[in-house]
Amino acid sequence: MSDFSPAARQAILAFADDEHLMGQQHTEWIGVAPFLEEDLAFASIGQDELGHAALLFEVLVGGDDADIDALAFFREAPEWRSCRFVEQTLPEWGDTLVRHWLYDSAEELRWQLFDGSSIQALADISERALSEERFHRQHGDALLDVLLTVTDAQERLMGSLSRLLPSALTMFDGVAEEAQAISEGVVQNSLASLGPEWQARVDARFGAVDWQGVTARDVAQRTERHADFAPLLARMLEVLDLDRSVTW
Amino acid sequence: MATFEVFLKKDGRDEFRHVGALEAANDELALVSARECYVRRGEGDRLWVVRRDHVLSPDRDFTAPNADKPHRHHSGEAVAARRKAIRKASADE
Repeated sequence: MSDFSPAARQAILAFADDEHLMGQQHTEWIGVAPFLEEDLAFASIGQDELGHAALLFEVLVGGDDADIDALAFFREAPEWRSCRFVEQTLPEWGDTLVRHWLYDSAEELRWQLFDGSSIQALADISERALSEERFHRQHGDALLDVLLTVTDAQERLMGSLSRLLPSALTMFDGVAEEAQAISEGVVQNSLASLGPEWQARVDARFGAVDWQGVTARDVAQRTERHADFAPLLARMLEVLDLDRSVTW
Repeated sequence: MATFEVFLKKDGRDEFRHVGALEAANDELALVSARECYVRRGEGDRLWVVRRDHVLSPDRDFTAPNADKPHRHHSGEAVAARRKAIRKASADE
């Protein structure tokens, strides 16, 4: 167990949990994405997110796999610090593609909050993750560049955007201890501080959004779970729960 | 959608090798897909992605006649047989 303050732990956990669940949601498209190449590409990107989560969990508990599993999988729901946006299961590919773009455009900004962190390991992970995020964004943009020029696809994707934006704003909800984590230099700024730049990116990609009309549900600083969380976690534990003592 | 052929090269003196194909809507998506489908475990550090319809590929008849030219093979068997025959002829004299 690393010797970090409670505030530092919560701030790191918020990102680790988001990465973990986003990676899981992406990889669940393996075998069912619209075409084979996208099937593989999307699962590969999901694995990158899982890799980021694993690195962050390792910062928190050290390199022992059992400790990482305990933190990553065996917490009770109220102890998670994910946002509702990544907890939602989206059965429609259009919704999933738009979430991929919205999440990665925010993720890139979030890693920058760790740049120069008082915890050197976070600054190192940030540098590595940012080198991958460039390609995640290129992937999302390349697909949207094509699909947004097709009337039917554009209508569906813009519908997805409208539905998802309120939930997407939960990405910028910080943990209760965020201000303390900032004062300790763990993160450079609050998640909320990233909102305007992210919104500008969304506007540039999809056209000007009426942000006044987009209201986020009160999410209680990442302590409440979306209804899809429990079944999602159950799927994640399906194999692990066959025998929690086994060494893989 | 167009079909693209994918080639990879490892660091060093290895040559580019064909590793597979993919379908994509345009060149950029072909590159993005190739990266995630064929190089996600670092299988190479140089990548060529080529539109299949840009590959020059004549009919099989174009190359078929060259399959039956044993005199162009350098197995040495013909030379060895000839030398053996000469040695035998010399010994018999």
